[in-house]
Amino acid sequence: MENEKIINDGAQADIGKNTDGANVGNVESINPKNISAEEDHPRRKPVYKFLRVVLIFFSSIFVILASVIFILYIVPVLMERHPDNKSELSDNKDLKKDTEYKKQIGLINKDIQRLSVKYNAYTSGQSYIVVNTTENRFYLYTNKKLIREGFCSTGSLTMLKTDRGDKVYVFKTPKGKRSIHGKITNPSWNRPDWSFIEEGLPIPPKNSPARYESGVLGNYAMSIGDGYLIHGTIYKRFLGMPVTHGCVRLNDEDLEAVYNTLNIGSKVYIF
Amino acid sequence: MAPEIKKEPHRKVTLIVLISLLAAFLIYYSVMSVMSPARKLEEIRKEYSLKTSGKDGIDKKIVNDSDYLRLLKEKAFLQSKTLMAVTDSIYLTLNMLDSTANLEISGVVVHKAKMSKMEISKILSGNENAVFSMLSTPFTISSALSTIKKEPVLIKYAPKDTSEYKPDVMPDTSIAEPVCYILEMKGGIRIYVYQDDAVKTKDKISLLRFDLTDRIKDTWIALKRVAVAKLPEYHPFIKIRLPRTDAKIIYRALPKNGQIAVFS
Repeated sequence: MENEKIINDGAQADIGKNTDGANVGNVESINPKNISAEEDHPRRKPVYKFLRVVLIFFSSIFVILASVIFILYIVPVLMERHPDNKSELSDNKDLKKDTEYKKQIGLINKDIQRLSVKYNAYTSGQSYIVVNTTENRFYLYTNKKLIREGFCSTGSLTMLKTDRGDKVYVFKTPKGKRSIHGKITNPSWNRPDWSFIEEGLPIPPKNSPARYESGVLGNYAMSIGDGYLIHGTIYKRFLGMPVTHGCVRLNDEDLEAVYNTLNIGSKVYIF
Repeated sequence: MAPEIKKEPHRKVTLIVLISLLAAFLIYYSVMSVMSPARKLEEIRKEYSLKTSGKDGIDKKIVNDSDYLRLLKEKAFLQSKTLMAVTDSIYLTLNMLDSTANLEISGVVVHKAKMSKMEISKILSGNENAVFSMLSTPFTISSALSTIKKEPVLIKYAPKDTSEYKPDVMPDTSIAEPVCYILEMKGGIRIYVYQDDAVKTKDKISLLRFDLTDRIKDTWIALKRVAVAKLPEYHPFIKIRLPRTDAKIIYRALPKNGQIAVFS
């Protein structure tokens, strides 16, 4: 006991001198300050518990997120790393002398030639017009060369509905390949039903003079089928914008050039 | 104090079991997913491989010859384009060698676009005669997912009389939504088109949402298959970057079930 007391006293004295010492840990349990900290422990316990719950919560979130990211982003990358999808290529010189090989190469070359001729025949040397409805631009070609381009107006993509919902009109320019069906100079507009409905006007009977309006379609009009026309406009400030009821509007100079270049049967490509 | 001592190991065990289960599932899902491309390739081989035996069969050595495959690829692309040119419809040709995306109608190129970046699935880029045979018929779009509308139709109600009539106001052409879309083909091939132009910060969020929607949709389908011990569907892909205007033009021009030819 005597010795023990001496040792304890010695330790106490050491701590008093040097609290940063390496042996502090060994004597912590007998440090009076630590004893009071241990007494405080029960009061701190809820805080530790809370911190632990928070830590577990965030760890769980992290694990779930990591798993989701792994499934959504890493697995697709791993899928592309599969090894066995490439056949081995050969470049055997002896094979190239083989008659069977030469025959097969000859056959495939013949096929390519035939297909190329067939495919190139689709692009005729005749004049044609290309209309881009997204950008509202047109491109006029002769002998496969671009001779004129500019702004136009195409369908507004508006759906006109009557109050009762019995009539619905969608104003869009038809896409795909069409052709010039007819050419007219000084056209007058035979107003269809929707043009009256759109303005809240009563619909006149068919062939009524009230339906005819001249001067609004410019000097020329070219029919491309199904009632759609390429024509001029009095609303030139709207060129380059989608504002029409489905027809293609051009300015006066462009219209004249297109009219003079395209013939009946000329192709109209609209996309 | 005593009950807590008992609780601790119990919790730990639960946690370890849960983490192990999750890890096991992730490994199982990954293995199943990694196996799916090989199965897809096998399917393609079964359906499209050139005959290498029998009376009309081509010698196996010839089928694997580099010159022969190069010609076969060229023929496949031409064949595909010729098939599409017969119709009056708009179609797309993607030439990965010269980085061009062309809109064509009946053999006439109506719009040309230059791809700035492209990435192609290993299956489609491999030198596989079966793949070239598959490419000799055009792909048909079965569905599309996009950040923009195909046809931004505006609904307008007819006025009751002339007093209600308002002439059309100038349309707003300044709308600059980000352009990004995924075209899914019949047969499972997907074409991803991204706009090349820089995206605004607010658009980045909508693009992230778009990307996540696609990934989640795919993963959900894959998880359902994996849950019943089936391999998930693998979708060979082509990812391209185009200028925003070109990407928009192509998307709006292609019909709903439009066709696409690929030269890889």
